[in-house]
Parts: sequence; C-alpha cells; structure tokens
Amino acid sequence: METIKHMRVARATTSSRIAMTFGIMVLFALVAMPWWATSGNIRWAIELCCYIAIAQMWNLLAGYAGLVSVGQQAFIGVAGYLLFVLAQNFGVNPFVAVFLSVIAPAVLAVPTYLLLRRLDGPYFAIGTWVVAEAVRLATSNIDYVNAGAGMTLRVMTQYSQHEREVAFVLLCAVLLLATIGGSYWLLRSRHGLALTAMRDNPVAAASQGVNVGRLRFCIFVAAAVGTGLAGAIYYMAQLRITPGAGFDPFWASMSIFIVMVGGIGSIEGAIIGALIYFFADRLFGEFGSAYLIVLGLLTLVIALYARGGVWGLLQKLGDHPWFPVRRKLIVEDKA
Amino acid sequence: MQWLDAIIQGILLGGMYAQYALGMALMFGVMRIVNIAHGDVMILLSLIAVSLAGVLPVGNIGLIVVIVPIAVAIGWALQTFILNRVVGADPLPSLIATFGLSIALQNLMLEIWSADTRSLPNSGIASESFQIGSIYVGLLPVIVLVCAFVLTGGLDAVMRYTRFGRGLRAAAADTEAAAMTGVDPKRIYATATAIAVGILGLAAVFAALRATVSPSDGSAQLIYAFEAVIIGGMGSIWGAFLGSMVLGIAQAIGLRIDPGLGILFGHLVFLLVLATRPEGIMARKK
Repeated sequence: METIKHMRVARATTSSRIAMTFGIMVLFALVAMPWWATSGNIRWAIELCCYIAIAQMWNLLAGYAGLVSVGQQAFIGVAGYLLFVLAQNFGVNPFVAVFLSVIAPAVLAVPTYLLLRRLDGPYFAIGTWVVAEAVRLATSNIDYVNAGAGMTLRVMTQYSQHEREVAFVLLCAVLLLATIGGSYWLLRSRHGLALTAMRDNPVAAASQGVNVGRLRFCIFVAAAVGTGLAGAIYYMAQLRITPGAGFDPFWASMSIFIVMVGGIGSIEGAIIGALIYFFADRLFGEFGSAYLIVLGLLTLVIALYARGGVWGLLQKLGDHPWFPVRRKLIVEDKA
Repeated sequence: MQWLDAIIQGILLGGMYAQYALGMALMFGVMRIVNIAHGDVMILLSLIAVSLAGVLPVGNIGLIVVIVPIAVAIGWALQTFILNRVVGADPLPSLIATFGLSIALQNLMLEIWSADTRSLPNSGIASESFQIGSIYVGLLPVIVLVCAFVLTGGLDAVMRYTRFGRGLRAAAADTEAAAMTGVDPKRIYATATAIAVGILGLAAVFAALRATVSPSDGSAQLIYAFEAVIIGGMGSIWGAFLGSMVLGIAQAIGLRIDPGLGILFGHLVFLLVLATRPEGIMARKK
C-alpha cells in the first residue's frame, strides 16, 4: 500500500505563462501607442479593443450564463448617450463621465432582466431585442438628446490630439483589464466553478446548490456594465452618437459572429474571433453585402458543424490554454 | 370617433401581423425553435412575388397560387437541411444558425434587389374602400383580416382534429415518446415548417400589395410576429391571432398620439403584458 507523499495543485501551464507574458507586453505596447503609432492605427486599436470587450461580455452571457442576448446594443447606446449628456450638457469632464456612464446600462439591466427572465432560451433573446428597439425608439423621440439627429461631443475640442490619444489608450487598457481580466478572475473564483457547471447543465448545477437565478442576474448586469463601458469609449472616440448607430442591431450580429467563429464558452475564443472579425472587416469590408453574406453563412455553418469555433479546433490539436481555469493535480513520486 | 377609427385600423393592421405570427406560433409551440430568419423569408417571398408579377401576367390570385408552393418548398428545405440538425434541448444552436441565415438572406436580397422599396402594381383592390358611418375602411385590409381569421381557424382545426395535428402535438410534448408510437418527428417538423412558411407566402403577397417592402424590413416583421405570439400566449394558435390584434391596436393608437410613437407603443404593450401576465392573454389554465 503506497501513500502519495507529495502532491500539488497546478493551474498555470507553459502556454498560459507565455500567453500572460505576451498579454502584458501587448497592454504596455497599447498604452505606449501615442508615442510610436499613427493616429489611424490608434483609432483601429480603440475599435478592436471595444470589439473584444463587447464580444467577451456576450461570451460571458451566452457561453456561461446561458443567456443569449441579441439586444446588447441597448446597453451600448444608453451608456454612450449618458456620456454625451454628462459631458456636453452638464459639463462633466468627459474622462470622468465615461466611467459614470456605466450607471445607465446597470440601471437598465435590472428591470430588463426581471422582465425577461420569464422567457426562456430563444424567447429571451428576442425579448432583449425588443427592449433595445424600445429604447432606441424612445431615444429618437426625446428632444433633450436631439431626438433622431443625435449628439456631438464638442467638449473634446479642449484637448489636444495627443492628450486625447493618451487618454483613449489608457481607457482601452482599463477596458481590456476589466472585461478580459474580470472574466478570467470571475471564472477562476468560486463563482467560476458555478458558472462552468451552469454552462454544462443548469439543472444539475442548481441541484448542486448553485443559485442559478441569482448568478444569471449578476452576470447579466455585469455584462451590461462591461458592454456599456465599451460603448461609451467607442462613441467617445467617434465624437458622435445617433439612435440609429448607438442602438444598431449590428452590434449584436457582430458579437454573435465573433464569439461563434472564435469559439463560445472560452475567453480565448472571443479574442481570436474579434481579431478574425477585425481583420476580415479591414480586408473585405469594401465588398459590403457580399462580405456580410459570407459572414452570415459562416455563422450558420459553425452552428451546424463546428460549435466550438476556431478555438475548439485548436483545442483538438493540443490542450494549450491561454487562460487556464482548470486545476490539475500533480503527484510527485519521489521514491 | 377618432379613437374608434384607430381601433378599427389597428384590428386591420393586426390581420397582417396575424399572418406573420401564425407560422411563428406553429414553429414556436411545436419545436421550441425560433426562426430568426422568419421575417427575412417573408420579405424574400414578397420580393420574389414583385419580380414575378413583372414577368408573369397572372393577377394577384395567380400570384398567390405561384408563391405559396414556392414558400412551402422553402419551408420544407429550411427544416430538412438546417433546422432538423439543430433542433434539440439546447436553444442556442438553432438561434445562432437562423441568425446567420438571417444576415446572409438580408444581404443576399440587397445584392439582388438593391435597397429600394418595392411593391406589387396597384390593381384597384389596394385602393378600394367602403364607408361605415364616418369611417373609411380599405377593402384589401379587410380581405387580409378575413384570410388571417380563416387561416387561424383552419390551423387550429388541423392541430386539434387531424392525424398530423395529433402527431405534431405528441412530438411537441415528448419527441422520443412520440417516435416510439410511430410518429416520425423529423417529418412532422418538416411539414410544420412547410405550413408555417406557406402561410408566410400568402402574407408576403398581401404585404407587397398593402405597402412596400425592402430587404432590411425582415427584422421588424420578426419582432411583430414574436410580440404577437408572446402577448397571445405561447403555444396557442388563437392566442397568436388575438395577440396580433392587441399589437395592431396598440400601434394604431400610438400612431394617433404621435407619428413617432406607433411602433414604440407596440413594444411597450408587449413589455406590459410580460410584466403583468407573462403567460399571455390566452394561456391555458394550469
């Protein structure tokens, strides 16, 4: 009878250490961008960061909490609008207002969830769309925010271009840390275990003592806040918001495409998907509707044949997680 | 009088929505599938009808006779080649698949028909109206409403009394148990979707006669159909019809208050129903 003398629990892998080092380097490179990159590249970086953040939040919702939403644009729009109102009409410093603006999505998410939780699965999805449409139409009818004509962020002219760029890359770094870092932290915590259990089977998770309803509610609000922050930063960089753009259902299409192609239910998938979408958009965006037909068909094919997306295919080649959430028991045999 | 007029126009508008909603109620209730491309398929059929009308001088009735079989074929193919692969306990794959299909269809229609709005040539019916008291009622919307009513009654009867209807309800209640008793769920599903899209074919011709259609209109029709089904009560065919009436009246009244508020009022009534009577107005007592 042999007893195991030495064992330890490991989570980090070689691949995760490389990924973490690389990730930190990318963050530093991002923050240093105003000193080495062109303004055009910085604009692209802001856009890419917003895509990653929005997709990551959608992944948290659909991939883990089982809440498929096609109405995340509601949170993008309200956060954007609150930022514009605070900065333009109340004279709040826009870089402070961008953080205050997440109040709007948080406040909207609570009644939205409480209303829609009665609908399950697909019904919930279209319900979120209805909410987004209702908020869009309501916004188009409010004269205080210029109704359908939208608002312009004129206060930004008081900052030089360099100042703005420095602030934007810092905001983007915060955004990535909050969404990717936040998701990773959440998944590694006690709640992460519950979330993973919920992803695999909500009923079984509930039977193990997971409060599925409350966890879903928290995730829905958290995802709304993350999505809203990304939206506020995005429209701050655009300097302009209209109901048609801020509440564009295309935000939902984009999230779905990114997460499905990249690989649902993993942090890596959303990042890969966002990169694929971003570069595909640069390369093929000029083909307009033909390009979108391909995107749509690709989403369809992935839903039919390759549910794991690109990350799922990569996983088949070998288990090299960038953000490992599993724990591994390592037994060291000294004898 | 103005409000009575709004209610009558709302009911007539509801007739159009009922035609969108019936197919969705059938697919929803039976397969628990939400076809996100529902509205886009309808628009596709409308645009095909508009293009066909330019080539085939068959009249409106003839057009319906041509379009409905096309619609049935599209529905059957949709179920057999796509939806049957994703139907199951997990709603995500079917949702994502039809979402992708919806984006692809919308943009395909943009490529073929461009973003212009189109409608069927005005053949007299569309502009004829009659007067009740001081209220004018269009002939075409009345025909649409009557068709919707007949279709609802017919579909309800099919669900209740035919062998197919029994198979459908059995497959909806428990797919595996139904399969054991000799029902082929996949075939039943394909027939159900064929019927659902077939009804959309009729709706498509009416929609193109009544107003204009353009490739990006599909999502709005999907949302109206969905709202009607939920307001009425899931799984109830007559519920979808009543829900359509409620939605139509809400939109017509909103439109009277302010032209920008019509559709918003529909959404608000939907959310109100969800808050106060989430099982829908026609839900069976539990």
